[in-house]
Amino acid sequence: MTGHVAPNAPFAPMDAGQQLLQATGLTRRFGGLVAVNNVSFEVRRGEIFGLIGPNGAGKTTLFNLMTGLTPPSGGTLTYQGKNITGFPPHRVAALGIGRTFQNIRLFKVLSALENVKVAQHARTGAGLLQGLTGRDRAEERLVDERAWALLDLVGLANRAGEEAGNFSYGDQRRLEIARALATQPQVLLLDEPAAGMNTSEKGELTGFIRRVRDEFDLTVMIIEHHVPLVMNLCDRVAVLNFGELIAVGDPASVQRDPKVIEAYLGG
Amino acid sequence: MDFLQTYGFLIVTMLQQGLLGLSLYFPLMAGQLSLASPGFYAMGGYIAAIVLTNPSFAPWREALGGWIFPVTWLLSGLASAVLGVVVGVPALRLRGIYLALATIAFVQILQVLSLNLSVTGGAIGLFGIPQAFGFVDRWQYIWIFLPAVVVVLLFAHKLQGSRVGRAFRAIREDELAADAMGIPPTRYKVLAFVIGAVIAGVVGAMSAPFLNTWNARQGTFDASIAFLAYTLIGGSRSMWGPLLGGALLASLPELLRGLADWRLVINGLVLVVASLYLPQGIVGALSRLRRKTPPQRPTPQHQAALGETP
Repeated sequence: MTGHVAPNAPFAPMDAGQQLLQATGLTRRFGGLVAVNNVSFEVRRGEIFGLIGPNGAGKTTLFNLMTGLTPPSGGTLTYQGKNITGFPPHRVAALGIGRTFQNIRLFKVLSALENVKVAQHARTGAGLLQGLTGRDRAEERLVDERAWALLDLVGLANRAGEEAGNFSYGDQRRLEIARALATQPQVLLLDEPAAGMNTSEKGELTGFIRRVRDEFDLTVMIIEHHVPLVMNLCDRVAVLNFGELIAVGDPASVQRDPKVIEAYLGG
Repeated sequence: MDFLQTYGFLIVTMLQQGLLGLSLYFPLMAGQLSLASPGFYAMGGYIAAIVLTNPSFAPWREALGGWIFPVTWLLSGLASAVLGVVVGVPALRLRGIYLALATIAFVQILQVLSLNLSVTGGAIGLFGIPQAFGFVDRWQYIWIFLPAVVVVLLFAHKLQGSRVGRAFRAIREDELAADAMGIPPTRYKVLAFVIGAVIAGVVGAMSAPFLNTWNARQGTFDASIAFLAYTLIGGSRSMWGPLLGGALLASLPELLRGLADWRLVINGLVLVVASLYLPQGIVGALSRLRRKTPPQRPTPQHQAALGETP
């Protein structure tokens, strides 16, 4: 069982700096509202890619489009050269795109440990029969060890047995990152990971995300409102306004872009 | 043996109803409120009753002897699994109360079918079903139903600790988040539904000889509500809940026999009081008293578990 690889395991890794994810003309309409309008961009392997924009700009909708939670009204999404537009969320996750949620969606009555175990589903293969006959033991052991290691990483191993719903806001955000990492992603989408954290926690988060990126060889895409954090952390930044992409580039030049300044101060 | 002569039938009924309560537990593990169990229970009973009484199955009965009974269980289980998939795939697109309503409709359809088909004996039903394994007393059915309860509980226990059980719980908590974490919700919801269907179907097949007759009154809307009451009273978060609820509610009319007509009032009161004061059921309230043991960290065998792909 230990050697089992899920049927849709991630593709072979590619070189750093190469294009990993590509959105082309991605569009989503909700009735008359165009939440995401003809958005095109690419994410390169190994980078930390920031997504900013005023409230209601369509950032979370874009994440939902990228992870299959919301089907796009138009456009395509390519991951490692494969068209994954319209894939259901569990297939997207199995292909190696993991995420957290803006409004924290942990399994609240399950323990922290179980939350992290559950998310290893696509990387394991024991079916009903193996589970009933105990032939999943080797796999279960690995799932357990990995879960503990991930809780160590986010500093929650000493509270492994507690229900996730009892954790503080900041701890829940950290646990959600651990759960997303348990899916063994190549791309990690973080939706406002600093929301609800205090200043010192926010400071630690920058270092933590970098460390995770290096340790797990990840590409990170992050939605964040806290501008200093974005400018400090991201290699490149994209700015959304009213569903449209108005700027992409390195943090310094995006910050000087007149359209960006207008979106934040004018409009 | 006096005790068994008097209470044997009741004890077996308690076990049987406990099993039917458990048939709702598995879909509930994955967060699905299915009231389809009486339909599968009725169908399982009809399959057993037909195989055990219909003249066209006479050669089977002669050839198999006592083995005919396990064969009826197997047939009913298989038929329930197939029908469970056929019904489950479209029905499980519905959520919450809509799924409950759709499964009630399914029970109604089967009931109307059984009332109108000739093979099921129409409104009269099937009677003269032979006693299983030549049992001479009703209490002897304990040798069928008690092992069945043990098997289902062991199954539930093993399932809970497994990868599939975790997927069920994740879907119950948040289907969308489970999906985003790599769990295909539809597959596991159908699986949970089918497990419940198979249990109900096999219990039906076991019950046909026990009850001696089988008719359209076996799978009704009333039964759907009764089974739901078992899980509400006992608790739906632990496998002991539906079992206890089923056994308790099955015994209540007998225990309160002395109260004559008042027993129905007491029955209703128990339901109201339990849903008001025991939202997690009896077992849920009891388990809150028990302190949980923290999970044990395994001694690492694999170094750097994180870097490894299983």
